[in-house]
Amino acid sequence: MSAGMARPGLWAPTLAVVLATAAGVLVLRGYALHCDEVFVRWEARASARALATGRLEPAPYLDTMRVREVRGASKHRFLRRFEEAATGRALRPEVPAEKAVADLVLLARGGEAHEATPGGHRAAVVGTDDQIAVVHAPRGELGAFWLPAALAAFVGWLLWIGVLRRTGPARWVAPVGAGVTASLLVSVLVWMRLTAEQSFGAARFDESLAALLPMPTPVGASLVIAAPLLPLVVYGVAGYVTASRRSPHRAAYLYVAPAVVGLALLILVPFTIGIGLAFLRHEAGSFSWVGLDNFVSILRSEGYAITHPLSFYYTSAVTVLWTGLNVCFHAGIGLALALVLNREDLRFRGVYRVLLIVPWAIPNYITALVWKGMFNKQYGVVNHVLGLVGLEPVGWFSSFWAAFSANLATNTWLGFPFMMVVALGALQSIPKDLYEAASVDGATRWQQFRAITLPLLKPAMFPAIILGSIWTFNMFNIIYLVSGGQPNASTDILIVEAYRWAFEQDRYGYAAAYSVLIFLMLLGYSLVTQRVTRAAE
Amino acid sequence: MKRIWPHLLLAPFTALTLFPAMWVVKMAFRADQSFATSTNPFPTELSFQNFSDLFAQPLFARQLANSFVVSGATTLLGVFLACTAAYAFSRFRFPGRRAGLMAFLVTQMFPGTMMMIPLYHVLDQLGLLDRWAGLVLVYATTAIPFCVWMLKGYFDTIPRELEESALMDGAGQFTIFWRIVLPLSRPAIAVTALFSFMTAWNEYILAATFMSDERAYTMPVRLQHFVGAYTTEWGHFAAGALLVSVPVMALFFALQKHLVGGLTAGGVKG
Repeated sequence: MSAGMARPGLWAPTLAVVLATAAGVLVLRGYALHCDEVFVRWEARASARALATGRLEPAPYLDTMRVREVRGASKHRFLRRFEEAATGRALRPEVPAEKAVADLVLLARGGEAHEATPGGHRAAVVGTDDQIAVVHAPRGELGAFWLPAALAAFVGWLLWIGVLRRTGPARWVAPVGAGVTASLLVSVLVWMRLTAEQSFGAARFDESLAALLPMPTPVGASLVIAAPLLPLVVYGVAGYVTASRRSPHRAAYLYVAPAVVGLALLILVPFTIGIGLAFLRHEAGSFSWVGLDNFVSILRSEGYAITHPLSFYYTSAVTVLWTGLNVCFHAGIGLALALVLNREDLRFRGVYRVLLIVPWAIPNYITALVWKGMFNKQYGVVNHVLGLVGLEPVGWFSSFWAAFSANLATNTWLGFPFMMVVALGALQSIPKDLYEAASVDGATRWQQFRAITLPLLKPAMFPAIILGSIWTFNMFNIIYLVSGGQPNASTDILIVEAYRWAFEQDRYGYAAAYSVLIFLMLLGYSLVTQRVTRAAE
Repeated sequence: MKRIWPHLLLAPFTALTLFPAMWVVKMAFRADQSFATSTNPFPTELSFQNFSDLFAQPLFARQLANSFVVSGATTLLGVFLACTAAYAFSRFRFPGRRAGLMAFLVTQMFPGTMMMIPLYHVLDQLGLLDRWAGLVLVYATTAIPFCVWMLKGYFDTIPRELEESALMDGAGQFTIFWRIVLPLSRPAIAVTALFSFMTAWNEYILAATFMSDERAYTMPVRLQHFVGAYTTEWGHFAAGALLVSVPVMALFFALQKHLVGGLTAGGVKG
């Protein structure tokens, strides 16, 4: 970061981003106003109609009145008199607004009429009991636009600088970058409006937007979220294609393409839809947009005390405990076994090795079901063995710690062979002469282990442990099939909880929000561990 | 004395490890549907009643075949896609390489529950529900990221000089990949294939969600049906479990030498 000035073309993106932001704000503002106009007109008419037929209590922000013509006052058009039906007060022609009402009522006598006013729209509809309903709908206020715009501009700017630093200046960067910034801007603004407090203007904006977009279905919601990202994707693809046309990278992309296409279709698309779902509520087969409500409800643990098994924090704590203990046992047992098995003078080495990976080869749902049987209170073999030693049978699924231990035992059994195999492989790649040199220098076995074995095991064990903890964190089968959350869902981990919300409660949106939180936790974890491993190397 | 203590440690542990597995074997060969309660894990009788019961059930053979077809196809597709992608990640330096590798890793963190409903929707749109092609696509994409990482690690260890000299001799890029790199990486490919196979062979929830037609069931879904809420046909379940575990175990034992090398080649190089 020595010299911002030395890097060519930093001012160009900055200027472009500012211009794009300004343009974006203007365009979006225009669009919002247009939507508002359309909606206000519709609202004035619809409310007047409803009021005329007495079907509706009009919204409190609407200016409503019923007007009655005073019969026989005058035949002359301009001298007709009107009075407010409720109070009997005559409308005063000297007040412009009341004069406007009277004029509109005259126009409406055939059925209905409407006009634009400086502040909004007014509609008049002839009602059933000789009265005319008049509704004035004021235009909405647009909320603070510039703050999110500035935010989006800043993000776009950062993004652009990042791209520039990677690819170097190229001609296509400028227009596409502007497009990216604009789309980011739009997405942030739309987003702000959608999730804003349902103030008067925001509510309008939302409804007009909802009418335009294929919401609220999961696919629609994900489209809304993905649409602003689309230019980014196009940007990326366009950049890579341009770059690859005159470089040897072309072959590389050809090799990667099939896998990437598959992943995009079957992982990225469902992932995006899943995120979209998190912003919806599912009730009786239909979805409705609720913004961040699901997340707020989960994070505030609404309806459950924090120590309740169904609260997010309780389940998180159980999940972290579950993952931590499992990984410790897996790595500890795996490493210990590998150290013993790595001795070359050991007889039956191959036999042990083969037998010890048996748990890995057995499908884990079978393991889970068999262990569930073994932990059964009446006929389970675990209690049988306890009985032989003279202990009372334990109800394995009636207290938290017993059920948790049952899960833990099952998963430990299942998972140590993987770590053992990884550790064995890593041990075998350590050159033997290192140990010889160390023992010549008089190092004890423990010193050799500390100074040679452990450091050289690290590069292989670290990725395995990180991957293992991610897998354990999401280990659905064991929890679901062994304890099944008993007692009272207290042994459920996050992913099982999410599954239950989705498939036992039909609260798909809530479950999706749960899943997004799980994902974010794992992402944070791996980012942190990546930092740590990098620092350690 | 020095020779014995490892055995004192290993033998009981191995016995403990094998205990649940022996259990399954024992129950499979008993002509009884209850859970065996004695602590003796060795089979006390040898009856093939459970196995013949299984194959007498109308759709069992078909469901077993389903599992084989789905897992086989997943293996072929997954390994092919993973090989090409891993080769590119290992041999080419291209914009997006690091990001791509990271993205592959990140997909491992997507919670399955989050994917299930949308995946159902996508497969529905593609008309692939209740068809094995749908499961194959889903399983292959699930298996690819891990396979790519593993294969890339192995490819990295193959010396580049081999390819350079082949290039001198006028071989094309694809010829090098197909004729030199792939044959050299047979052990790693075997292990990758094993993992792809297991991904498909062992998967339960997605199969249970996407396959509603009994004729399309795979073995995990079928076996789950033996374990009811109140009664469990342990004998049938154990026999089925044995049938399901044996192929995987055979593969494991055949490949176990490569397993040790194949898994860590990537890890050591990073």
